[in-house]
Amino acid sequence: MIEQFAEWLARTSLSLWIQTQYAWVIPTLQSIHIAAIGIVLTSVAAIDLRLLGWAGRDQTLGETRERFGPWMSWALLVLLVTGVLMVIGEPVRELMSFSFRVKMALVAVGAVTAFAFQASLKKDETRWERTLADRPAVRTLAILTLLVWAAIVILGRLIAYDYVWGGLSPLA
Amino acid sequence: MDFADVLTWLESTRVATGIRDSLYLFPLIESFHVLGLALVFGTSIVIDLRLLGVASVRRPFTRIRADIMRWSWAAMALAAVTGVLMFVTSASIYFDNVFFRTKMVLLLLAGINVLAFELTAGRRVAGWDRDRAGPRAARTVAVLSLALWVSIIFMGRWIGYTTSEPEAQLDPGIDLEDLFTPPSLDDAEPE
Repeated sequence: MIEQFAEWLARTSLSLWIQTQYAWVIPTLQSIHIAAIGIVLTSVAAIDLRLLGWAGRDQTLGETRERFGPWMSWALLVLLVTGVLMVIGEPVRELMSFSFRVKMALVAVGAVTAFAFQASLKKDETRWERTLADRPAVRTLAILTLLVWAAIVILGRLIAYDYVWGGLSPLA
Repeated sequence: MDFADVLTWLESTRVATGIRDSLYLFPLIESFHVLGLALVFGTSIVIDLRLLGVASVRRPFTRIRADIMRWSWAAMALAAVTGVLMFVTSASIYFDNVFFRTKMVLLLLAGINVLAFELTAGRRVAGWDRDRAGPRAARTVAVLSLALWVSIIFMGRWIGYTTSEPEAQLDPGIDLEDLFTPPSLDDAEPE
């Protein structure tokens, strides 16, 4: 079904336009996408490392969230827009890729975790600062979140090389 | 031994042949390159935006720099090591590529830009450390830094589309020709 959708998408006029302009549109979208993921990655890292007490200790957790939270959200929006355009431009390459599908699942996990954590932090800063940040489970989650975002970047690049997954690739 | 021989020798090293012979190493190295450069870009704009007075304005500049630079250097080391590993697999092709050359020049300019900062505003940092924005020299360096890093990302992506090596294609099992005329890959070949 996804394959039919991808093939239908490939025949839409926007997709066809991107395909004719492929030589500059796709690399441009990818470059903007990479710049934006750099902002998201750094923002998530700044907040997580502050939670862990490994960086930015001259700022409170709340101040760190105020500084980096909005940048993360805006950069995520840029990622969404450029990402959707890349899918429209190359539907089969993206949608029929194992890396892409795992990446989307991890993006959902990463984004939901980040927004839920930031909302909770906004509501009760002192509780996070005083007690929650010391809990092993919270610290483990912070490290896992960082690894999830690193994996998202790696899987994003691996979309170009889906053969590395062998039989797991939907087109294999 | 001229430079072309050096490039050919690099391509014949065990590291280069090992990566070329593996189906997995190049994609993996390239992925970590993106991870490294994304963090280099993200950490440098934190510094640049502080110098411009756009973000983190209440934090002393030297505090932010001390905090972030070790992560930035680690990311830069990752990007550099993975970059060299990719380069040696097809040294002559990359060396001949105009986007690769431009990227190397821009990286050099980014280094000179940091040096320019150290020789100007960096020397008097105690005087403006707590100001909302850096002095004019610092703000100029910050704007140049932003422009250089964005351009470096673009150049890097264009290298991938103008050298045949990096974009290995999966045989999709369905004929893409049936769906659409594929992107003009012929135009993208360096030859």
